[in-house]
Amino acid sequence: MRRTMRLPAGLVAIALLAAACSGGGGSTSAGSSGGVKNGGTLRIGTASGIDSLNPFVAQQQDAYSTFEYIYPFLVQYDTNNLQFTGDFATRWNESADGLTWTFHTHPNAKWSDGQPLTANDAAWTLNTILKFSNGPTGNSAGMLAHVKSVTAPDANTLVITYQKPVANVLSNLQQVAILPEHVWQQYATGKGTGLRTYNNQPTPGHPVVSGGPFVLVSYTPKQIALFQRNPNFYGRKPHIDGFGLQYFANDDAMITALKSHQIDAVETVPVTSVATLKAAGLHVYVGPGLEFHDFIINANPKKTTHRELLNPLVREAFEYAINRQQIVKTAWLGYAQPGASIVPPGTGAWSDPSVTPLPFDIQKANQLLDQAGYKRGPNGIRIADGHPMSYQVIFPNDEAGAGDRAFQIIQAGFQQIGVQLQQRPMDDTAAFNAISAPNSTYQTFDLAMWDWVPLEDPDFILSVLTCSQYGNWSDSGYCNPAYDKLYQEQGVAVNPKARQQLVYQMQQMIYNARPYIVLNYQDVIDAWWNNWTGFVESNQNFFNPLSKQSLTEVHQT
Amino acid sequence: MRGADYVIKRAGFAVLTIFVAITINFFLFRVLPGNAVADLSRVPRATPQLRHALEVEFGLDKPKWEQYLIYLKQLAHGNMGVSYATQQPVSTLLANDLKNTIPMVAVGTIAAILIGVLTGILSAWRRGSALDHLSTNLAIAFYAFPTQFLGLMLLILFASVLPTSGMMNPFVLGPESLWARLKDIGAHMILPALTVCLTLYGEFTLIMRSSMLETLGEDYVLTARAKGLPDRKIVSRHALRNALLPIATVVAISLGWIVGGAILVEFIFTWPGIGWAMWQAIYQRDYPMLQGGFLVLAVSVIVLNFIADLAYFRLDPRIKE
Repeated sequence: MRRTMRLPAGLVAIALLAAACSGGGGSTSAGSSGGVKNGGTLRIGTASGIDSLNPFVAQQQDAYSTFEYIYPFLVQYDTNNLQFTGDFATRWNESADGLTWTFHTHPNAKWSDGQPLTANDAAWTLNTILKFSNGPTGNSAGMLAHVKSVTAPDANTLVITYQKPVANVLSNLQQVAILPEHVWQQYATGKGTGLRTYNNQPTPGHPVVSGGPFVLVSYTPKQIALFQRNPNFYGRKPHIDGFGLQYFANDDAMITALKSHQIDAVETVPVTSVATLKAAGLHVYVGPGLEFHDFIINANPKKTTHRELLNPLVREAFEYAINRQQIVKTAWLGYAQPGASIVPPGTGAWSDPSVTPLPFDIQKANQLLDQAGYKRGPNGIRIADGHPMSYQVIFPNDEAGAGDRAFQIIQAGFQQIGVQLQQRPMDDTAAFNAISAPNSTYQTFDLAMWDWVPLEDPDFILSVLTCSQYGNWSDSGYCNPAYDKLYQEQGVAVNPKARQQLVYQMQQMIYNARPYIVLNYQDVIDAWWNNWTGFVESNQNFFNPLSKQSLTEVHQT
Repeated sequence: MRGADYVIKRAGFAVLTIFVAITINFFLFRVLPGNAVADLSRVPRATPQLRHALEVEFGLDKPKWEQYLIYLKQLAHGNMGVSYATQQPVSTLLANDLKNTIPMVAVGTIAAILIGVLTGILSAWRRGSALDHLSTNLAIAFYAFPTQFLGLMLLILFASVLPTSGMMNPFVLGPESLWARLKDIGAHMILPALTVCLTLYGEFTLIMRSSMLETLGEDYVLTARAKGLPDRKIVSRHALRNALLPIATVVAISLGWIVGGAILVEFIFTWPGIGWAMWQAIYQRDYPMLQGGFLVLAVSVIVLNFIADLAYFRLDPRIKE
């Protein structure tokens, strides 16, 4: 499984922090003034695809982007500045103690089948998630951590009470689709297993009951999802009549289809196709993304073999031996930025600007390894504790392609410091199994490469390095009680400035300990034909689960 | 009686092979590192309770032998289980995948068999001629081409002429006549079926050519020539029938693999078939889908082999002796 978070989390919307945000630049929105041509069907190509239309089963980002457009959410992002803005909730406020959040929702709203859409639907959805949180709704339960109760005192008001203050309430709620109670309640009986087995797919004449700007009218698994404008939508109506999301099993077929006008736009263009598409006259958007690639060094203090890797001098030497600039230039063809922090600059103010990469310096790396006492053997490979410094690098399938080229660059650098690396490719599940072996104790693996796609809010990416993530998200064996304490503190720091300082501290702590050597942040690249405009870009592409803006604004020229 | 014995023996062997395949299918994928729960429970703030709930739901908390017995019992009742990844019945998902796969791979395979047999006969008949050289070299070249390379070349070459992805025009909303739909599916099928055909036909050409050459060297062919029979008659009446024997096995095996799909072709042309579904299922450690898919494949290959055995019995009187 790709270490990709399926959902975005939020940045607390305060002007002070938002001013520093750098995320959603590059919008091509033309607004709704002159030159807007209404109508038409936008044909989007994707190599990701919808794995399930059931929010309690789905894993893929395209599924969550689909939910964003067919279901109401309490809030959404304005991806131009990463601030929260209203969706089904028109306004909201929190109590002075931070424990009670009150949302005022759109009055007189309707689902696509004409049934009333009210705060009761929101309350039912959240309460159902809480009720079955250790079973059928477990994949959504994390978004409602510390929620004590959810009520709808009237049809247009939703009140959520927390057991303790939570720092990222809005970013969590931004990820929870509000489902039509009159459709779903029949599955929330008994142990709630029906909530996972209901496929939520449209049939001829019976579209998915939707409350967003579009209605899902047709779906053929692994091929196409077709959406039509929802006349009952409570918010701003889209310019287009509808859109289709066509799935491609491979990038080459998708790019060929785009070039031959079989589709109008694609999300996530491979870096090797950018020049071709530009030459063909397409509009290619390149902007900062959240995904980063990292070189992992086992950080478990209880590691049983090759314990020299725990030596801070060795870890620092490894970073000096990595040529990030060449990786960006050769592996990513320039469509990436060198980086060092686990919180990418694309998240805006949460990324600590003082965390910067070490320069590529082979001499310094050799000096550090000499200082550590690891002399070169007769074949040039250094000897540590009686064995050669020769290691396998676990290499998941996710990293294939650009990651292969990055590995070769790293391998060449390490050779110059007397350290031998061998690539050990395997599929993602096997890779995680090898990293966490034996039995989720992380005692045997040495090195690995992988990627993360953090969310807008730093909570998730910070969480993966906590001790409690052993056997779950952890892929480094890092466990530090001091770090865990900071993680708990940032989770309840409702003052954004105070939280920012805690988040900065955690980034510095990880940078110094080097469970990961962050290599680079990958750019977001999308492309479309010039007869379309108005796409609102984000650090998660134009078809994203952050907001309803992009496909509401898009139109023909 | 001898014939009945033969059929019963072959049928018994086929049933035993299916049982062995079912057992191997069960244990083989469980040997792979990692499992579906590890993947599906990797959600933010997943709790040990969620992981346990998924293990109970999938029955993975039970010992392997107990899971195996449950699997056999369910299978005996015709229940292939529910996909871990999509939570939908495996039989429904497989039926859908097979419905997509069979026409495309069947068209490609049958075309490959016909072209292969024909070119093989022609090559042998005109041995040493320019036609033979051309046909044999082309067959070797296509046989040697990696499927993905050939598929991608066709995709790039014909992108502006033929549909290159999926099974039908995906952006059609509203009713469509059956004829228009069939035409659309046919157009989408051309490139993937052509890829299947080109990668397979070379094998048939080479086997057929070799078999024909062997037969054409037999004494009875020499006798036929001595009797002054025209070449066409010698080939069609005397040589071809005997030369078809080795081809029968290859054809049966090839037809059996039709339900296995063509992973690379389906992947390149985004053809939503069973090969691609199996590839995804391995990736997701979706045991019920894998067991179901490979069961269908095993049964198909074994049944077609059984049919080939029966055909041999009909075609080759020596077996009866």
